Amino acid sequence: MKSILIAIGCSAALTLSATASAQSDNALFQLEQRLNAVGERIEHQQDISEVEILQRSYGYYVDKALWYSLTDLWTDRGTLEIGGRGVFLGKERVYEYMRVGLGTVGPKPGLLYDHQQFQQITTVNPDGTAEGRSIAFVMSSGGWGHNYYENDYVKEDGIWKFTKLHGPFNMYSGYDIGWLDNTTLNTFPEKFDPPPDLPPTTIYLTYPNYYVEPFHYPNPVTGMPMPAPDPAAGGEAFGNYSPADWYWQNR
Amino acid sequence: MKIQLQHFVPTTLALGLILLSPLAHSQSDNARLSALETRISAIEQDTAQVEALTRIQRIQRAFGYYLDKGYFGEAADLFTDNGLVQYGVDGIYTGKQRIRELFTRHGGGSVNAGPGLPYGRFNMHMQLQPMVTVAADGNTAKARWREWAMLGQYEEAIEWGDAILENEYVKENGVWKVSQMRYYTNFVAPYEGGPASLAPVSGDWTTEVGKAFPADAPVNETYQPFPAVYIPPYHYESDLSAIRSDPPLQQFIRSNDAIGRLEALADEHAAKLARARSLRAVENLQSMYGYYLDKGQWEQAASLFTADGTWEFGQWGIYRGPESIARGMTLMGPQGLEQGQLNNYPMLQAVIHVSDDNSHAWGRFRSDVMLARNGQGRWGGGVYENEYVNDNGIWKISKQHYWVTFWGDYDKGWTGEGIIPVEGMSSVVPPDEPPSVVYESLPNTFIIPFHYDHPVTGEPHNDLLRRDQDPREQQQ
Repeated sequence: MKSILIAIGCSAALTLSATASAQSDNALFQLEQRLNAVGERIEHQQDISEVEILQRSYGYYVDKALWYSLTDLWTDRGTLEIGGRGVFLGKERVYEYMRVGLGTVGPKPGLLYDHQQFQQITTVNPDGTAEGRSIAFVMSSGGWGHNYYENDYVKEDGIWKFTKLHGPFNMYSGYDIGWLDNTTLNTFPEKFDPPPDLPPTTIYLTYPNYYVEPFHYPNPVTGMPMPAPDPAAGGEAFGNYSPADWYWQNR
Repeated sequence: MKIQLQHFVPTTLALGLILLSPLAHSQSDNARLSALETRISAIEQDTAQVEALTRIQRIQRAFGYYLDKGYFGEAADLFTDNGLVQYGVDGIYTGKQRIRELFTRHGGGSVNAGPGLPYGRFNMHMQLQPMVTVAADGNTAKARWREWAMLGQYEEAIEWGDAILENEYVKENGVWKVSQMRYYTNFVAPYEGGPASLAPVSGDWTTEVGKAFPADAPVNETYQPFPAVYIPPYHYESDLSAIRSDPPLQQFIRSNDAIGRLEALADEHAAKLARARSLRAVENLQSMYGYYLDKGQWEQAASLFTADGTWEFGQWGIYRGPESIARGMTLMGPQGLEQGQLNNYPMLQAVIHVSDDNSHAWGRFRSDVMLARNGQGRWGGGVYENEYVNDNGIWKISKQHYWVTFWGDYDKGWTGEGIIPVEGMSSVVPPDEPPSVVYESLPNTFIIPFHYDHPVTGEPHNDLLRRDQDPREQQQ
């Protein structure tokens, strides 16, 4: 009887022990899950900051024509498209765009080329890519520029890089009378050396014409996608300007 | 989940004590589990605070992009249903419809059509220099922003715009929205002549839009815009939480059991989070400093430095300690500025790095500058390379170093005879030490050193050396 009681007691204890252990394991498992989830959220915040550092460093490099540092921000197959000059494919062409198109490495006496990087909206995607909209506010020896970027980035081996720099022009003007008159409607491949690998992805005219580069993100409050501009308000649709019209007007 | 766990812990604790020798360590294990759970909750809360800050930056920047291109309905949709905009001294507009019409009228779009702007309309509203304070409960937030605007109508008239925004945000059903936007116009100045050419406003300066489209309620406090010096109220005057983070990190040694491994994982996450919080705190701190500089609040600006912090501005030399720094800043003008003085030093393009132990930080910022004094306007540009110290959870400035790229006359620009050379040390308010580096600004050009290595290669920035060693360059 005594041994039976002991046996029952032991068995009860073992059952309780197993239950306690299972509960403890369950608690650990839940805590680990919470830690992993919050860890991903923290990494997401770090990713946003790192993409911003990449984009802003690009601006500091343009300022002083640091073309090696600039080119190193790209993946091997990354692309670059600025204004209407067409698309340049791969790191080497990015370097050539800068070195041949814009001049030798290093700052030049008397010349200002400040490419301020403002107002970045960064969207980090679950697949390890990111998109960013930002502004280049240019104060250069040539005058003013206000341009947008809609760029793509990728995290390769833990490091963020450009896969696509897409910088449609918004406004370029001289200094004397600013953007009152005599602005640059756009640039195009025929007037830029080196030539691109691909033609411009979009044909458009900049200020004083209306062009809006599509936002990569939905409205952050409503979640609604961006509506197309309404010609009744004066806006053309996104880059729907006829390439032929544009060519004959600007050749 | 949390409630279940709190219930669970004492139960196993009791079982372990009474019955089971294999769980002899259960008491301490359960205490460890409980402590770990509390810690994870804190990490989750602090993460939500950082997320709220970046969300608010995103909403405000999206707002700017909407105004730029005539997406006024989308801009109004960023507000709560009873959200409001206080516009200059025009008054307070309440509700999305009114807000949409307000920005449409100011921006030149059409309330009867969808998004867009007429031909030749320029309506750029850059949203800059965020100083974001998220409330402790994580459900509301306030932020100060600088708006730098480029406005006008092609071949008719163009203007510069300058405003401070003091906004409030609220989280409704998990979605952050703008609840209040107080838009303090400082000036809308003609491009020709710039802000220096503006005369003081006399009497009522309600805008044309405000007259044609009256507000729902008057402003609580009226003010005079530039050339008067008006300081829009700060939301953070007595609340320093925006520059607060975790204190410098401690090293923990964790036991090599299941709980210990989770404790180590929590340590790792907490360290990353502390540095992410610190990065945002330093961004806020530099913005706060910049807003004080704008208005000649030298004492307030100097109070953000450590006791032996240094302030070096162009070639004026080095001022050490808050008292000396405030004295050095009088080279920019009297405390509080004088009538007609514009001292806009925006803090932009932040590249911030925080040390692994969360005790120090470095920041590169751009500051392209708009000044006016005695009817003379001036442009300037340069880059800050700064250092910061974590003083037991409050970030302070240990070094501000502004490298001047150029000064230029407003009317003539920054080429040719418009160029103004950088000023040397003052004999009237002499520095404590000479400049750390002697240089000349434009037309001389130079590379401002980077506190950080290249973000992709991890190598120092050595472009000139690479150029000199590049065989492609030698062929040319």
